[in-house]
Amino acid sequence: MDIRPLRPDDIPLIQHANLENLPENYFLKYYLYHALSWPQLSYVAVDVSRPKRTPYDYPKIVGYVLAKMEEEPTDGVQHGHITSLSVMRTHRRLGIAEKLMRQSQLAMVETFGAHYVSLHVRVSNKAAIHLYRDTLGFKTEKTEAQYYADQEDAFCMKLDLSPIREQIREAAAESGTKSTKDGATGEKGTPTEDKDEGEPVGDVGRDPKKDGAAGKEADTKVKVKVGRALGVGELVERDESKHS
Amino acid sequence: MPQQQLNTREANLFRTVVRHYEDKQYKRALKAAEQILKKNPKHADTLSMKALVLNAQGKPEEAFSLAKDALTIDMKSPICWHVYGILYRTNKNFDEAIKAYKFALRLEPDSHQIQRDLAVLQIQMRDYQGYVQSRFVMLKARPHMRQNWTALAIAYHLEGNLPQAENILKTYENSVTSAPAKTDLENSEAVLYRNTIIAEMGQTERALEHLETDAKHSLDRLAFMELRAKYLTQLGRKEEAAKAYRALLERNSEHPAYYTALTSVLGIPADDESALKAIYDEYAEKFPRSDAARRLPLDFLTGENFRTAAKSYLNLMFDKGVPSTFANLKHLYSDPQKKATLPTLAEEYLAEHQGGQDGKGQANGDSSKGKGAALFFLAQHYNYYMSRDLAKATEFVERAIELDPQSVDFHMTKARIYKHQGDLAKASATMDYARSLDTKDRYINSKAAKYLLRNNENEKALATMGLFTRAETVGGPIADLTDMQCMWFLTEDGEAWERRGNYGMALKRYHTIFNIFDIWQEDQFDFHTFSLRKGQIRAYIDMVRWIDRLREHPFYFRAALDAVKLYLTMHDTPAGTNGVNGTSGKNANGEDAAERKKALKKAKKEAQKAEREAAEKAAKQDPNKAGAQKGKEVEDLKKKDDDPNGLKLAATTDPLGDSIKFLLPLLQFSPKNIEGQLVGFEVYFRRKKYLLALRCLSAARALDPENTRVQEQAKRLREAVGPTLSSANAKLKEVIESAL
Repeated sequence: MDIRPLRPDDIPLIQHANLENLPENYFLKYYLYHALSWPQLSYVAVDVSRPKRTPYDYPKIVGYVLAKMEEEPTDGVQHGHITSLSVMRTHRRLGIAEKLMRQSQLAMVETFGAHYVSLHVRVSNKAAIHLYRDTLGFKTEKTEAQYYADQEDAFCMKLDLSPIREQIREAAAESGTKSTKDGATGEKGTPTEDKDEGEPVGDVGRDPKKDGAAGKEADTKVKVKVGRALGVGELVERDESKHS
Repeated sequence: MPQQQLNTREANLFRTVVRHYEDKQYKRALKAAEQILKKNPKHADTLSMKALVLNAQGKPEEAFSLAKDALTIDMKSPICWHVYGILYRTNKNFDEAIKAYKFALRLEPDSHQIQRDLAVLQIQMRDYQGYVQSRFVMLKARPHMRQNWTALAIAYHLEGNLPQAENILKTYENSVTSAPAKTDLENSEAVLYRNTIIAEMGQTERALEHLETDAKHSLDRLAFMELRAKYLTQLGRKEEAAKAYRALLERNSEHPAYYTALTSVLGIPADDESALKAIYDEYAEKFPRSDAARRLPLDFLTGENFRTAAKSYLNLMFDKGVPSTFANLKHLYSDPQKKATLPTLAEEYLAEHQGGQDGKGQANGDSSKGKGAALFFLAQHYNYYMSRDLAKATEFVERAIELDPQSVDFHMTKARIYKHQGDLAKASATMDYARSLDTKDRYINSKAAKYLLRNNENEKALATMGLFTRAETVGGPIADLTDMQCMWFLTEDGEAWERRGNYGMALKRYHTIFNIFDIWQEDQFDFHTFSLRKGQIRAYIDMVRWIDRLREHPFYFRAALDAVKLYLTMHDTPAGTNGVNGTSGKNANGEDAAERKKALKKAKKEAQKAEREAAEKAAKQDPNKAGAQKGKEVEDLKKKDDDPNGLKLAATTDPLGDSIKFLLPLLQFSPKNIEGQLVGFEVYFRRKKYLLALRCLSAARALDPENTRVQEQAKRLREAVGPTLSSANAKLKEVIESAL
């Protein structure tokens, strides 16, 4: 197993893993949108032990976390969001999902100054809920009725990222000079505004979909407008609290 | 001839047309345009705008013809050329779009919008020189925007002019008087981007220096740490490099490359097993949940060292009940000693845990742990091609199932064993049983569908997939799977149809995959501007380079190879003569021509029915429905498939010609895959393109000179050029003969 950040050329096999594991699927462009907006936040677990059969073999993805920053947080607080997370059934119990999540959470704080991370999970998905709540420390914010396309409810969960911010600050203090400025947290721990757009984005680039997401290990629902007419320009996220 | 001038009222009306169009109020835009045209039927710009509206409404043919009329009236209108360019662009003919845009720009050199659109088309088509030129003009027009500097640097970078790319980035940096905030992500990324360009030029020392000064506060900490470790290593500064890799391992102990790099800069000899192992042990102890630190030493340990480490690793995995244990170790089987050791260790574990069902690793009655895990490992071991003994595999899987009759994993392996025994029906039934044990898990559902397809049960497979596809998608599960670009299903479904002799459906699926690759290729379009805004330039460059080799992907290769082979079969056995044993053995399953005919007939009927229904639906459509609704219908109309069962595809009279579009990318993007070269030869040989056939043959021979198919093809080519090529082709003959 190899855990590393996602690369654009991983995407077809990430999409494959998603289709294999979860009912909430996305077309390739939506993965590209994540990979090109917040490349630091998404990670893959790769099966590196497979012998290559041709010079064109791609590393087999056995798990991934697809994550983003909320572009216009309703509470005005910078935070991350887990769009989708899954691990192949054949590769469970190695702690892969947890490891993917931890890498992503760290980068959310370092690169984007996130204060917390949110996600949605099916109320029936015991394994995923166990991971989020017991292993990672997420708290259930609320239940969203009929969040998923098949009418199942979702728990909306959140994890406060201040322990990570604290850690970074301590590490910085320890290593002396070089450090204080490392990371988006800044010396005073003020989360620096995430400046990822110099100018108004206009209608460019938000999440498409809604209605999607969430499965075995996790995920979120995002309703996606299906079909190729969708440009990044139309990848506009709708209010997640409304779904069809 | 210039167009007539509009009076003030009409000029205002014209602006209304543009505004309505931009607001996607197409009906209103059309109405306003008609109003102008009533009095000025030859007003070219208005005609062009009307064309644009029609195009947006899903009527490209009408739009094009109108836009051409407009251009005939006024060849010197930048609007007309611009619209013409937009029409080509939206219909994905980017080359023609570029030409039109260039005309428009010549007539209106200061138009920022035209210039910007042209630039995007140029980078989409990889016209780097043109892109450099466009971005240069755009920078000159708006030098205060950082994006414009970055964009020009990207243009130079992709063109291969690295020094100039760096220079542009540097010039901007130097022009800024106040230091950017350390939270300025655009700045942070631009600086790292510059750093990677310096490294790409091979100036490692300068790259390191730049990294440690200008990029020191980069917000992408991981990239900073990885680049630094890499540069230090390359510069031979081993002690610092070791420290850097240790810091990376602290961050992520599941990344094998860090261990390799660390042991290398520490100068540990590759054969000093205990010194190597000590490094991994250090991290295994530090991170009790780390898998890599425990498993990776199995790669290099030998003899008794291997045995000891493998035993403790296996015991741990079995106690935890990790289902991927075998998958994670099977690569060790290339070493015969390891291949022999692993199963004995599993047997030992079993013997140690034989003391009854309540034995040690049987904690909490979870049968996937302990004994069950060891039995599962052994079943997979004997099912693996390098250590196959299917009788033993069956024995172990049955013992595992006895322990836990409800285990999805155990039944899944049982199905695989049946598959390897060649009993596809039993394999499929068993996989479906495994599915029934956990109907909420899509993974096992997908596997069940795949096994159904292997057993040529397309309909049942689709129904199984339908348990997880979105119910509200118009067109049912197959539409959802197509929309969601589910490559594996489309490929396997096509292959199964082909085995059943339904070539139409098979071709349909292969073409769908081909089209999805076109969509992926086009998906980059919006990111040429989007990424500049987001500032994540390194990721953007990665994407551009990936898209350039997109069709080397095995997803493409497999479906395209299938398609070419099928077209060859169709060429060799024209419809009606296709007997029980097609030349390629495709009909070995016993479905014969009659069945194929029947399938074709049925498919035809269905297509007619679908067409009728669609026509009825279209007729019932109220043209005056509300805007939003209308837009959706336009989309539906656009999406309508006039050949859902591939009848038209199968009815081709030129299968070889049709195969070319699949073949060319195979040869271009996967030239080192011998299968592509072999089918390339077959196609060109049949088309009597002997030089092209020779090229494939030579490539194949370079890849594998001993290959019997290569030798057989050489013989056929030699025989063919002898008598067929007349003296007029003496030169060609000579070339071929000398190459052979």
